[in-house]
Amino acid sequence: MSVEAQQGIATPRIPAGLGGLLPALILIGLFFVVPVLALLLRSVTDPAPGLQNYAALLGDGTYARVFFNTFLVAAVVTIVTVLVAFPVAWMLAIMPPVLASILFGIIILSMWTNLLTRTYAWMVLLQRTGVINRALMGAGIIDQPLPLINNLTGVTIGMVYIMLPFMILPLVGTLRAIDPMTLRAAALCGASPLAAFRRILLPLSLPGIAAGGLMVFVMSLGYFVTPALLGGTSNMMLAEMIAQMIQSLLNWGLGSAAAFILLVVTMALYALQLRLVGARRTTGGA
Amino acid sequence: MKLIFAGILAGLMATTAAKADEMVFTSWGGTTQEAQTKSWAEPFSASSGIKVLQDGPTDYGKLKAMVDAKNVTWDVVDVEMDFAIKAAKDGLLEPIDFAVVPKDDLDPRFSNENAVGSFYYSFVLAWNKSAVSGEPASWADMFDTKKFPGKRTFYKWSAPGVIEIALLADGVPADKLYPLDLDRAFKKLDTIKSDIVWWGGGAESQQLIASGEAAFGQLWNGRVFALEKDGADVGVSWNQNLTAADVLVVPKGAKNKDAAMKFLAAATSPTGQAKFAEASGYAPINTKAKAEMPADVVKGLPDAHVDSQINLDMNYWAEHRDEIATRWYAWQAK
Repeated sequence: MSVEAQQGIATPRIPAGLGGLLPALILIGLFFVVPVLALLLRSVTDPAPGLQNYAALLGDGTYARVFFNTFLVAAVVTIVTVLVAFPVAWMLAIMPPVLASILFGIIILSMWTNLLTRTYAWMVLLQRTGVINRALMGAGIIDQPLPLINNLTGVTIGMVYIMLPFMILPLVGTLRAIDPMTLRAAALCGASPLAAFRRILLPLSLPGIAAGGLMVFVMSLGYFVTPALLGGTSNMMLAEMIAQMIQSLLNWGLGSAAAFILLVVTMALYALQLRLVGARRTTGGA
Repeated sequence: MKLIFAGILAGLMATTAAKADEMVFTSWGGTTQEAQTKSWAEPFSASSGIKVLQDGPTDYGKLKAMVDAKNVTWDVVDVEMDFAIKAAKDGLLEPIDFAVVPKDDLDPRFSNENAVGSFYYSFVLAWNKSAVSGEPASWADMFDTKKFPGKRTFYKWSAPGVIEIALLADGVPADKLYPLDLDRAFKKLDTIKSDIVWWGGGAESQQLIASGEAAFGQLWNGRVFALEKDGADVGVSWNQNLTAADVLVVPKGAKNKDAAMKFLAAATSPTGQAKFAEASGYAPINTKAKAEMPADVVKGLPDAHVDSQINLDMNYWAEHRDEIATRWYAWQAK
């Protein structure tokens, strides 16, 4: 992050020439804007013109519950991810560079491993007869297997694991940009470590938390594989419901409407965050 | 820019337009599609010279998208029969050319104007012997959590099977199952809901039972057959085994219709069916196939358990598919 941004001086940048942007704009138009418009169109025309798909979605208790679940899971995952990622990012930021780059390599490597493989690995670990429950029962700590899978716990564990790199990376960038002298100055002025964390480190790292948090939250909203495998049917998320509508029920109008509502809500949240945290801080953190 | 797009388009067209001596077969992947490739596609290619490209897994949404967009890249697709009946009504399927595909020996339960049987299977009650004391003998036992404690696993998706199981367990006679009393079925399912672990695919069902994660469950007989072959310690009850079928269909506008019909003839032939049954443990839909199969294989097929067999009503399901699915998913999400 630049000094300018930290001080909050906005410097609007006007693109030198729109011509250079054209390929990117065409790409976005062709592969993002057009499909979204087609989606919107389908949601109000299939099977018949009108808003009946939206009425069906918003008027039904089941769909409302699935929407609620989706946001609940995304929120829980985001919060837990922040809590786990922060110490790791801090460690990475203050580690000797060689060690840090090795640790970075390990974190990035996990991102390259197939998502399904990783999720299945969690199934093996978390299930009733899985490694964790067997170990705990063998050690006499529990009598009955803990319900770690097919519920919110399983989804949270699996998704936090997958989302961690997306939180750690922007956070490390932010933390590294913080001048270590600020913390030393705080200590010299008599601040306890906790106070220094709360009043210096945390506020300064907020842009990174906001950037990572938003990314994790938005990605979680549309997640499919992990909730489908580690969750139970009673915490079904929207992506799974949309897949059912499209693949099994072949009700594309309804599926499109659900997808469009998710998109609108996500955009609204993004706009809200821009307003609260400020565009510079959200995008400038990484 | 234009050049690039033209290039991409040309590339796409080249890959989608299969040549005259090629066709695409799509099924569910895994052991089932391997058996189909070995039993049907390879001998068919050898005798006809038509190359069979494998694709998958079957995806009803994709099938509809292809037909809607008039760009059908699948020529023969393995689908569940209730879907086939519904899809035919929606105009998504080509009629079968019975001048090419011999019809006489096909089990009439599993073929119609737009579909020929692929194989038929039974839902059976299977359990992990080390996780269960005693032997569950009927679907009612799966709802008796006192006598048989532990998790039970059922098929996750809205499809023929679980509703019928709940009704049978609740005492509905087999010949009075249809029309399905959904209220009664869901009420019965409510009694064990917290003990249910759902399986979404065949491999998952095997893993759940083999590991003891679920003590018992409703499984496809072919998957139990494979578990037994692997030496897993599983028990199986064929009492009230519920039959359903996969069928082969040709999507409307398939590019290699002629080759597809010839493929169907080979796949449904007595030899093709016998070989597939031997490899998969699923039952043949050609009534002459059994004569070509070893006796011990015949013994393990759903055919050997006709007395205790109940046919799931595919026509009823095709008719009420959406209505049941809506309630099913709403109930699950509760």
